[in-house]
Amino acid sequence: MKKITMLMTTVVLSTGIAYAQGGPSQKPETQPGAVRSITLPAVRIELKEGEGRVKAETFCNICHSTDYITTQPKFPLAQWTATVNKMIKVYGAPISEEDAKIITNYLVTNYGAGN
Amino acid sequence: MEHKRFTRRDFLKTAGALTAMTVLGEMPLDLLAATDERRLVRYPEKTDLILLTSRPPQLETPLKYFKELITPNDALFVRWHIANIPTSIDVNQWRLKVGGNTEQELQLSLSDLRVRFEKVTFTAVIQCAGNGRSFFEPRVAGGQWKNGAMGNVTWSGARLKDILNQAGIKAGSVDVSFNGLDTGTLPTVPDFIKSLPVDKALEDDMLIAYEMNGQPLTMLNGFPARLIVPGWYATYWVKSLTDITVLNKSFEEFWMKSAYRIPDTACGCVPPGAKPQKTIPIHRMTTRSLIITPEERSGLKANKPVDIMGIAFSGGYGIKDVVVSTDGGRNWVQARLGKDLGKYSWTQWSYPWRPKKPGTYTLMAKATDSIGGSQPFEGLWNPSGYLWNKVEPLTVVVR
Repeated sequence: MKKITMLMTTVVLSTGIAYAQGGPSQKPETQPGAVRSITLPAVRIELKEGEGRVKAETFCNICHSTDYITTQPKFPLAQWTATVNKMIKVYGAPISEEDAKIITNYLVTNYGAGN
Repeated sequence: MEHKRFTRRDFLKTAGALTAMTVLGEMPLDLLAATDERRLVRYPEKTDLILLTSRPPQLETPLKYFKELITPNDALFVRWHIANIPTSIDVNQWRLKVGGNTEQELQLSLSDLRVRFEKVTFTAVIQCAGNGRSFFEPRVAGGQWKNGAMGNVTWSGARLKDILNQAGIKAGSVDVSFNGLDTGTLPTVPDFIKSLPVDKALEDDMLIAYEMNGQPLTMLNGFPARLIVPGWYATYWVKSLTDITVLNKSFEEFWMKSAYRIPDTACGCVPPGAKPQKTIPIHRMTTRSLIITPEERSGLKANKPVDIMGIAFSGGYGIKDVVVSTDGGRNWVQARLGKDLGKYSWTQWSYPWRPKKPGTYTLMAKATDSIGGSQPFEGLWNPSGYLWNKVEPLTVVVR
């Protein structure tokens, strides 16, 4: 859990500085109202109750909201396994083998088909 | 007896179940109209759009906006790939860096883009590669778009060619890569960087756009400037650009090498469920059409005229004709084409129809572009859910 808390902190910090990489300005311009900002809405997504829900929520939310789960078709075990593996192998999700099994099982039980 | 609150969601669920169980002809019309029960959300600078995902946001345009030739800025779909998206930009600090295998490096401000380069304006369809993915059978993973991951927008900006020529492309250049402000939440998440072959990047119609429909880009559509690759899917149209890099070798990173690839076959398809032997980066859009009105399952009256109206576009070849069928594809008639805004724009079309007898009718539209490209009657399948352009039957009830 400690590892995840740290990662989430990184997420928040890097969100804040994501835009501040404009580089040195050759000829500084000063325009009034030159900063344009938006505030993204907090969209609440509820995952179904079930064994492994907290793990799924914690790990998946590192990189994306859980509507990335709820809007998917009801996939069989093979597809959910492939998806969780892709998150670990391609995107580097810090999920242990044991947790990957728990999360995959949660996904196929609550958002799966054909078991 | 306990009274439960009957929410809109409950209503829609009930409507869906009733529609499935009941003969269409006996349904009240207001229930029939409820065909899309997906959740609406309002993001900054946007109207109510259909929520696919919230972070990173994927927001779909409701079909009603496609009744217009030009899609309003606040209704245009939104699609980001990695979660740290720009939410605040200081235009005084923002620069577009152009370099790599060039004679000199440029650091262009937004006013440099406006003042130092000729302003070019044209209308072009922007469409997500995965538009229509939810119609694939067997279903595939990814954003479950219906038809709303597209729009027709008038873009203004500087020619990419003019910018690259000012930097001076050196001999031996192969690809040009494009990076924007978005980043992943973990260092292991591949940064969203796309590339074009240098010859493509030097075509006349590639833009670095700073206006959409005469206004600055909305933040969620790539403020302050984005790449426009008209005729090609929007995956290339990198938002909130910061870096254009000319490369003397092929660009080999994740979003070109592993993602956004289609089977290397003539149709870009494989048999449903099959794995392609070889893949290539997705590029030009397939030709397609869509019926916008009447809406699916809307109730019509016998002998009352109704305009069947829709849109059609191609991968940059213009639209030569659109044919319409009101009997499930047995007979076809020519639709009248609307105003021509150029080969990258969509074309509105219409056909005045007067259904003679009550009954259930299957409407279809099929577009052909100026080089003969058209639409299949069966959905062409690929593992990532790209290139959707099937002739889609639409059922209406006439009483």
